[in-house]
Amino acid sequence: MKLLNCPMNGVRPLSEFLFGGEFREMPNPDASTDLEWASYVHYRDNAPGIKKEWWYHSPSGTWFIAERNTLTDEVLATYLHGNSPVSKVKEPS
Amino acid sequence: MTIFIKTTPVAYTHYAVQPRIGMHHGMEIALSFEGDSTEKAHKQVLAVTDVSCFARFGIKGPKAADWLNQQGIKTPEVMNAWVEGAPNTLVLRLGGSEFLVEDQAQGKACEALTSFDQASTTGAYQVARSDAAFILGGREVLNLLSELCMLDLRDSAWPSHGVVMTQVAGISATLIRESLAGEQVYRIWCDGTYGSYLWEVLTEIAQELGGGAVGLICRFQ
Repeated sequence: MKLLNCPMNGVRPLSEFLFGGEFREMPNPDASTDLEWASYVHYRDNAPGIKKEWWYHSPSGTWFIAERNTLTDEVLATYLHGNSPVSKVKEPS
Repeated sequence: MTIFIKTTPVAYTHYAVQPRIGMHHGMEIALSFEGDSTEKAHKQVLAVTDVSCFARFGIKGPKAADWLNQQGIKTPEVMNAWVEGAPNTLVLRLGGSEFLVEDQAQGKACEALTSFDQASTTGAYQVARSDAAFILGGREVLNLLSELCMLDLRDSAWPSHGVVMTQVAGISATLIRESLAGEQVYRIWCDGTYGSYLWEVLTEIAQELGGGAVGLICRFQ
């Protein structure tokens, strides 16, 4: 069973979570160029590596950030948006 | 004039078994399903009771705890915990800044909380609650929960006043463990629209394990 660490509720089965897409810092819509904004909205390089992603713990309604290596599917850290990464949980082998 | 009668979210599953119905907190609820002796026997083994009729009040926001405290309601100091916030009233802290207040059979606190005025309150927002709520008790209760929930819900794995938000039978639910008249029982809340489904699942497994549905009267005798 794959597990994920919710920063509010602890380690739970992956079936309790929904993937919310890649997290990327939004450029200032008033100050960015059209190219920067179009890149933010549309461009994904899809290169495997460590990505920040939105995840959602559905029983508690908690949105949080997971740093995940998309090549190995290893989750390196989970934390609430705006907080520092505090938990580094490896899935049991 | 049309008169609306508030029914429990699991009312449709009750029609087939025709329980004795009564009113509690303004809602029609099952008082008993079978004879007193049968329900008492079920209570020893594994009993499922519908307590969706208990009055509830939900509130969230950075000032939610302050507002409840101002109304004389105690709140848990840590996240995902519960306390008896007033006599016969449970207060669950759901995450960081959301609270569920629920009167028990004799509780009266929620009535006063309906005075909440959004226009004059900042930092706290009322949350509409439409839960189906159940009490599970009996010596087989952990066997039932182990069939429906992936978490270890034994005493050793769960703080005594902890709140667990997880999936039960595949749907989102909130659980606590409490002592009721000296008996350790489990409380489950889920969205009311899932109430009939969860009731069916719980009572079906309860019957397999030698128990069954128990009405409000037997549960609180």
